[in-house]
Amino acid sequence: MVKINVDSKGLSCPGPLTEFVKAYRTASNGDEIELTATDPAAAPDMKSWCEATGNVFEGVKEENNTYIILIKVTAKKF
Amino acid sequence: MKNIIIIGGGTGGTMCANALLKRINPKTRKDWQITVIDKSEYHAFQPDYLHVAFNGMKPDKLFKKERSLLFAKIKFLHDTVTKVDLKSQTVATEISGILPYDYIVIAPGSMPNYDMIPGLRESNLDFHTSPQDAEKIYETLKTSIGGRFVVGVAGVPYKCPPSPNESAFLLHDFLKKRKMLDNSSIIFVTPYPKFYTAPAISEITEKVAKAKNIEIVTSFNLDHVDVQGKKLVSMEGNEIKFDYLFMVPPHKAPDFIKGEEFTDKDGWIKVDKTSLKIEGYENAFAIGDVTNAPTAKSGMTAHLEAEVVTSTIADQINNMSDKEYMFTGRTHCPFEVGDQKAVFVIGTYDRPAISVNPSFENYMLKKIMGKIYWSTLKGSFTDIFKIYFGEDYMKVVKKQ
Repeated sequence: MVKINVDSKGLSCPGPLTEFVKAYRTASNGDEIELTATDPAAAPDMKSWCEATGNVFEGVKEENNTYIILIKVTAKKF
Repeated sequence: MKNIIIIGGGTGGTMCANALLKRINPKTRKDWQITVIDKSEYHAFQPDYLHVAFNGMKPDKLFKKERSLLFAKIKFLHDTVTKVDLKSQTVATEISGILPYDYIVIAPGSMPNYDMIPGLRESNLDFHTSPQDAEKIYETLKTSIGGRFVVGVAGVPYKCPPSPNESAFLLHDFLKKRKMLDNSSIIFVTPYPKFYTAPAISEITEKVAKAKNIEIVTSFNLDHVDVQGKKLVSMEGNEIKFDYLFMVPPHKAPDFIKGEEFTDKDGWIKVDKTSLKIEGYENAFAIGDVTNAPTAKSGMTAHLEAEVVTSTIADQINNMSDKEYMFTGRTHCPFEVGDQKAVFVIGTYDRPAISVNPSFENYMLKKIMGKIYWSTLKGSFTDIFKIYFGEDYMKVVKKQ
């Protein structure tokens, strides 16, 4: 298992998702992706994305207007 | 003689060259040579590639010789850049060799990255990259009897954000006109969780798409295209069959800057998002698709960025250093939704895209922007643009 940190602070929609999707391409099942974002839309977007793709939305923490979003990669077949 | 080198003769590069010539004080202008370098002799108006593909517009209307778009005192080199060395302030090219500069603006655009998705190149007809390819779509459509048309976003990042969505709507117009809708389905595919990335625009355009029976598949992470089986296969193993595939490929930065110290991990040039100075350099700038600025990769963005960069360089050359010019991140992307209606994606770094209702007026505004495009490259309509964009045109701050 690898923890992949994706820093999208300062980016607004679709920046955080774009950065996340790029990281997801190279991730493997079991990896955790920690997306750090200042865009409040990032967490709900990632939740929807996880529901649609079958990956696991592990949660979101807010610290000083920064959102730390944790996603576990579980649904990749390729 | 001092040198300003501009790499790229697209919207941003051409506007930069022309605006600089006008803005440098006439007394010192003779001391400065402005040079534009591009591997292509021709400048294309890219937004209309969509209309080549789905309306049969003739591509020859979309090209002009770059030389004809530049003021006579600007030098144009039809040459290929092989390396940029910001430390030694030189540009290497295939024909002209090593060229020194005092200021540089890097604006070569971005290019499709077909290698990222196996099978995409073999299966896809691409309206987005060249008018010749766009024309192939129209030739294909003319002989089609219908089928499953899959359009959308093959991978990220990509330039001209609304164009994949627009392709679904313009394809719908084509099929409707040819009375082929009963035999056809349009499937729009995107890796994002919404039809369009900006929520306010997505809400409106998704309703239009649904009313037109355009099927929307979100959060689809394309892994590869099964060329023989004619299907998209996602990283999660989901499949979408197609008879025709018209997707926008992911994009990458040009190869000549690959691995350079001034690029980020994805190959884009690291700039300060407001001054557009390349990080760590006072005399090197980058604009347009090639930067890592968190805004749309689009022509209008390059236009506004060119204003900021040329104002900054001209002030330095003219020894006027009391002002700072800042790009606001403003986007102004026209987004056609078919039936001669359009919205605009309007936002800045600080303001998310606002909700805009589809209208014929917006469609006409897109057409007008296309008509005046060639004149804007030489600075016509600048005052109108300033009024139209207001504070978003360019932020000017007096230095303390």
